[in-house]
Amino acid sequence: MKRGLITWDKTELPPSVFDARLAKVRDALAKQDLPALLVYSDVWRSNEGRHLTNYMPYWNRSLIVLPREGAPVLLCGLSPRVYPWIKSVTVFEEIRPASKLVPTLLQLCAERGWTKLGVLDLARLPHEISLPLQASDVKTSDVKLELTDDAEIAMLRRAEQMAREILTAELPKGVGLTDYQFSGLLERAFRRAGAEDLLLLFNTGNSAPRPARGAMLGDKYSVAVALEYRGHWARVMQGLPL
Amino acid sequence: MAERGWDSMLLYGNAWRKDPFRSLVNFNFSGDHALARLSRSGEVAVTFSDPWDSEIASASVQPEFVRAFIAGASAVAGLEFMEERFVAACGALPASATADVEELRRVKTADEIGYIQRACELADRGYQRFAEAAEPGMREFELVAEVEGFLKENGAEDNFMLIASGGTEVVGMKPPTDRVLRKGDSITTELTPQVNGYYAQICRTLVLGDPSPGQLQSFAIFSEAQQAAEDLIKPGITAAAAARAQNDVFRKYGYGDYTGSKYTRVRGHCLGLYPDETPHILEDVDYVLKEDMVVIAHPNTYLPLSGYMVFGDTMLITETGNTRLNRTEKKLFTK
Repeated sequence: MKRGLITWDKTELPPSVFDARLAKVRDALAKQDLPALLVYSDVWRSNEGRHLTNYMPYWNRSLIVLPREGAPVLLCGLSPRVYPWIKSVTVFEEIRPASKLVPTLLQLCAERGWTKLGVLDLARLPHEISLPLQASDVKTSDVKLELTDDAEIAMLRRAEQMAREILTAELPKGVGLTDYQFSGLLERAFRRAGAEDLLLLFNTGNSAPRPARGAMLGDKYSVAVALEYRGHWARVMQGLPL
Repeated sequence: MAERGWDSMLLYGNAWRKDPFRSLVNFNFSGDHALARLSRSGEVAVTFSDPWDSEIASASVQPEFVRAFIAGASAVAGLEFMEERFVAACGALPASATADVEELRRVKTADEIGYIQRACELADRGYQRFAEAAEPGMREFELVAEVEGFLKENGAEDNFMLIASGGTEVVGMKPPTDRVLRKGDSITTELTPQVNGYYAQICRTLVLGDPSPGQLQSFAIFSEAQQAAEDLIKPGITAAAAARAQNDVFRKYGYGDYTGSKYTRVRGHCLGLYPDETPHILEDVDYVLKEDMVVIAHPNTYLPLSGYMVFGDTMLITETGNTRLNRTEKKLFTK
């Protein structure tokens, strides 16, 4: 779960980056003659929404609506008490409370006169969202987007560099520890450096890497780190001896 | 399954909602998706989207992950979270088994209670570390990093944690920011470590320095409200009654307006393979609590006296009442 530093450093990702990404969405919508794009987002599946708006639900789930004309709208399962914080780290100016996501979406469609919607990766919508949406009067179309751009690649490089540098520095410290103890050491190091999320897997023999389970690491082991930095994931694996 | 007429049931988990899968096969998969298939005669098969998980679990590797595995399933626990492409692969739309399986999960076995007790012990130690580490000048995310490291080095699989710091301007908890902790701050947190799949939770508030009269007055209300729930909860009591007992304390002191959704979420919830299991403790939830359910009662809310404050403990419902599983002192922490 996300419990690291979630922020928006505008020197790393200027608002112009998101302006360009949203312009790309509008172009795609224009090509398919669609009034808006729907992007599903939850704790685990937040990458697309994060790329387009810098929003990531640390808990619960949300629907992101990107109109062809007008500003993005967030339909949010989180409490309005955290909306000021959400606004401070995302492009959103309009956030609507949505304990029931699809009815709130359909209300928005009715208000805007939308009878159809583009959905990013339609087949990957959770069933609970897809079923009532497909049963509604709003027609949905699958939309594919190429999300990679120069800013994305630069952030991925930064995440990869952070993962590699910290793991290289910390890796020898695991000798003689259990994988639990080494997990604690790595969690501290990565999260102090600003990691939002972290997945650590350990390998002490010939099996596949696995989560910590209290095993001794000995002096030959490898660690796979999947690190999320400002919404960008990097995966690095290193073994000892280096 | 026999009662429902289901021949085969799938239990689905993804990286966020592993719990339906783990309720049958308690394997901590690290990939994106996992599926268990249970036949009415009791045969179990599993498959994973990640080959590393398959190798560790000695599971068969499905080249297309689900297509052959799930075709023809009668029902799915976790259907609501399942991606539509997987649901389509079932053929005819399966029934949702989520509510039935969740009801089965609510009453814990002795083994499950043991895991939750271990998680509670870890939550207590984690909060002790939290209180030791917090100091003026530290940033919120640095404090969380320390606690996260502590919990992981002591065997937590995962941990759900929110935090807030400051004064009466604080209206809720969220992930940590880079705010610097200051003397006089009220620091709220809920720690929810996971041991062998099972979560336990503790909620406490720490004041850096001497607490203000408002913070002390506020905590007295929270303490009385939590105790009211603890005194009441036993088999046969509804979730609504447990919520009302807490809210009535706020009403008694003139703060009834702060028990609604504008200022708070729930007055507690169940715990198990998911950190926020239902039923939620709310005045409109008429679910009758049962022996061997595990719940937390936490009257967490905003009060103008102190800003957002939290206080709560994990409880096991026993034959005649409940046992508090956390051992951390029930007080407003200061340092």
